[in-house]
Amino acid sequence: MIKIVIPKLGLTMESAKLLRWAFFTGSRVAEGETILIIETDKVTYEVPAPASGIIHPIAPQGTICAVEEVVGYIAEDREEYDRIVAQQPGMTPEEKPAEEIPERFSPPPRDVRLKASPLARAMAQEHGLDLRIIQGTGPAGRIVRPDILAALEKKAKMAAKRIERLNASTDKEIRESIPITGVRKIIFDNMYASLSQSAQLTLHTEACAEALVDLRQRLSGKDQKISYNAILVKTVAAALRLHPRMNTSVVDGAITVWKQIHIGLAMEGNDALIVPVVRHPDSKGIAEIERELAELVLKVRENRLSPDDLVNGTFTITNLGFGDIDYFTPIIRPPESAILGVGRIVAKPVIKGETVVPQQRLGLSLTFDHRITHGAPAARFLKSIKDLIEEPLLLIR
Amino acid sequence: MTERLLSCSEAFAEALHEEMKRDDTVFIIGEDLRAHDGIFGQFKGLPSKYPERVIDTPISETCLVGAGLGAALTGMRPLVDLHFADFFTTAMDEIANQAAKIRYMFGGQARIPLVIWAPDGGGLSAAAHHSQCLEAWFVHTPGLKVVAPSEPADVKGLIKSAIREDNPVIFFQHKKLFAQKGPVPKEEYLIPLGKGDIKRKGRDITIITYSRMTYFALEAAKQLALKGIEVEVIDIRTLKPLDFEMIAESVKKTYHALVVHEACLTGGFGAEIAARIGEELFDDLDAPVTRIGAKDVPIPFSPLLENYVLPQVSDIVRGIKKVLNLG
Amino acid sequence: MNQAKLGKTDMLNLFKKMLLVRAFEEKAGELFQQNLIPGFIHLSIGQEASSVGTCSVIRPNDYVASTHRGHGHMIAKGADPKRMFAEILGKSTGYCKGKGGSMHIADFSLGFLGANGVVGGGFPIAVGAGLSIKLRRTDQIAIVFFGDGAANRGTFHEALNMAAIWKLPVIFVCENNQYASTTSISYSLAGGSIAGRACAYGIPGYTANGNDVLEVREIVGRAVLRARSGEGPSIVENKTYRYRGHFEGDPQKYRSPQEIDGFKKEQDPIAVFEIRLKTAKVLTDSAAKKMRKDVAQIIEDAVHYAREAPLPQPEDAMEDLFVNP
Repeated sequence: MIKIVIPKLGLTMESAKLLRWAFFTGSRVAEGETILIIETDKVTYEVPAPASGIIHPIAPQGTICAVEEVVGYIAEDREEYDRIVAQQPGMTPEEKPAEEIPERFSPPPRDVRLKASPLARAMAQEHGLDLRIIQGTGPAGRIVRPDILAALEKKAKMAAKRIERLNASTDKEIRESIPITGVRKIIFDNMYASLSQSAQLTLHTEACAEALVDLRQRLSGKDQKISYNAILVKTVAAALRLHPRMNTSVVDGAITVWKQIHIGLAMEGNDALIVPVVRHPDSKGIAEIERELAELVLKVRENRLSPDDLVNGTFTITNLGFGDIDYFTPIIRPPESAILGVGRIVAKPVIKGETVVPQQRLGLSLTFDHRITHGAPAARFLKSIKDLIEEPLLLIR
Repeated sequence: MTERLLSCSEAFAEALHEEMKRDDTVFIIGEDLRAHDGIFGQFKGLPSKYPERVIDTPISETCLVGAGLGAALTGMRPLVDLHFADFFTTAMDEIANQAAKIRYMFGGQARIPLVIWAPDGGGLSAAAHHSQCLEAWFVHTPGLKVVAPSEPADVKGLIKSAIREDNPVIFFQHKKLFAQKGPVPKEEYLIPLGKGDIKRKGRDITIITYSRMTYFALEAAKQLALKGIEVEVIDIRTLKPLDFEMIAESVKKTYHALVVHEACLTGGFGAEIAARIGEELFDDLDAPVTRIGAKDVPIPFSPLLENYVLPQVSDIVRGIKKVLNLG
Repeated sequence: MNQAKLGKTDMLNLFKKMLLVRAFEEKAGELFQQNLIPGFIHLSIGQEASSVGTCSVIRPNDYVASTHRGHGHMIAKGADPKRMFAEILGKSTGYCKGKGGSMHIADFSLGFLGANGVVGGGFPIAVGAGLSIKLRRTDQIAIVFFGDGAANRGTFHEALNMAAIWKLPVIFVCENNQYASTTSISYSLAGGSIAGRACAYGIPGYTANGNDVLEVREIVGRAVLRARSGEGPSIVENKTYRYRGHFEGDPQKYRSPQEIDGFKKEQDPIAVFEIRLKTAKVLTDSAAKKMRKDVAQIIEDAVHYAREAPLPQPEDAMEDLFVNP
């Protein structure tokens, strides 16, 4: 038993009108033969038989059916046909197909003047309704606003039914609805604006992290543990000094290169993305940066960041190493023009000379705005970061 | 604002008292003003208070309208009382050819602070020569502003603005409304020309009307409200300039428009309003704009005949039902 | 102001003004022939004594309501021929920015309340000006020029009655040039006299030889004196003659060329006055020649100005209807 369903003919198609069945119930049809003519708000379409067999239409002509709705069956043989007919009696006799079936179906002439009020026409156009399938209740059968409203309601019900059906099959229920307001709304808008209003491109590279790990251990004392982030902030600041063109924003239609370097570090706080800013890290020591970062982390945790802690960043670092991420494509925070994504430090096999040796490696992802920076300078900038990580001694240059 | 109930006559007289006190170039000229303080009592107290500025004329409508124009051109601010709107015919050249055109054809040299005030309308068995509504003639003449208020408060606020206008204004007042009372603010106020007023809010159909038919439309709206039909009644108050914005806003909400005036239907101002709604709000209309006006005959004398010719509340109710397709 | 007080300079000024009116009108006719003036124009050649004489006895702040044949009145009241030509050529620097043309030209700053396309349209306006003068208690007066045809309009009678009952300072100055458009007064004027109609309203009705500028001055002067002293209106009927048709291009089948020539030869207001001035030794041949040359130059300059003047922009048609829309 094969189901005859309304095919989805377009992205927005939700329903179709059954104009005419081409066969009576019990007729033999061959696969691919036109068995049914349907009409959407855009086209008239001849539905081919999905298989050869004996047809049994169940949806009457003139009805509007949802996409994928079963409108009939094709039975493999007489026995199956009888079974289907017993279960699905189908159309009443007056709804039987028209007597004469033309060789090729031609849609009803379009120049038949439809009576509809200007408002009804405007509404139908706005909602993509076909006035020809709406019964007018105005004077002389004119289609008026209430008729359109009724049709829209029917359409909405049908769509709802479809969604209900779809939901039933996937068992999808809403657990929680989170309103998009406040900080979430700002993030929501900023992220969208970032991707929709700039040309972002991400470069990936991997640095040897042996020196970095070593440096961190050596810098950390009893009183103060130094974080990778503090070293990375310092490292990026040094790289930005070498590549001032990465320290830019678009302001009033001009590319503005900033004199100062202020690096934001993305943190997770209170279910939101927060990026506190370390000011002038290029002229601060790593220990000092560490102290500031620790203070900012504390402030984030206790929810006592001041607006001053969050503004005027010129570059951002985001570190997803804790989640065993190697590479990703961070999104620039407008109006900045670049962001560095830092992955995990992990031992990987590296070819050294003729042998494979283990080595601590660090994934780096640099997203930049291609409107402002080309690929080559951005690659050179990322290379500088890599070099500085691999040879921290260069930091004191 | 504190309010009192005043009749249209009283509100009008009060406005004149205020304006004549405020500006000594304001004067009134017309026939039979002094003997009875105006034939509708509209100038109550003015002839005795301003003996030089309430001027009775011979029966010379042509010349008294033209004289008003001449005085307006030379530094005065006259209000010409035309006695009955029907007599406009006798001064048509002075209004349509002279007052309306002088500023324009002389390249903007002149200011014409002239109000020509005329009681109009039927319902008094005054027959064909004392019952007409002739506003369409004047809206059809570029260079004139045309006002036809209904409520006493509107009469007062609009006549004050009309007097202060530097352009010729034709000001109609319906004879049947002189005794009509309504709340009028005690404090001084002006109503600018060209602003309509929604006299009743509704969501189902917009009636656009003016002058006496405003009251008829409100009565029809009241009757239909009992059946759950919410009629919005707009009193345009000023025909020219027309507050089409208000009409548009309302029709975009109700999708139905009925224009009602007492003047005869053919070539009436309702045709202009209907045409503009058709042109500018076509896609907002769920039914053809429909007009109600007097039948196209002169106003007959016998009350039965007159009532048949003039639009009645029942005609408006029928009109609403027709537009809304309520059988 | 009477003739006795008229000095030599005043006399010469009157003469020059009449020359200016005629030169303006002749030039206007010429420009019309050259198709430089749109529409149609009505010229007052032959009637200069009436316009110049009348306006010479009134003050700058007095009002004048004019007619379709109003160029002469406006020049006599002191208008600038430059802006007049600019107007009748339809230019934006004309008196009415090209919106009025010959028949609807005005200068309110001169108290000139406008030419008027409607015959008899000026009467009620002049009565209104007179009423305004009375209400404002100034000593201005209002003059309304009209032709013999307008004397048969209702406005004439309504205005006379109203001006008379209120003793308004309005002077009804008729320029009886014998033809209302194509219709002779012998056919259309009951009673035969326009001044004579004054008696019905109990006001003076004077008749003047409208081709004698000094007589016009004297008689209008009398009416002015009466009006200014609050005694009320008068009619002055200046009997005159127009040399041109009702409008330029008028075939003039209603009168004979001989009739026109007769007036030109015997009663031309400029020729008559010139002879008188020369006889009185106020004007010499050479002075007259120089005066004509000066006038021709004024007109030449005015035409040059008007022809060079910018045309209005089409959208200017939407301006000046209302003080505030």
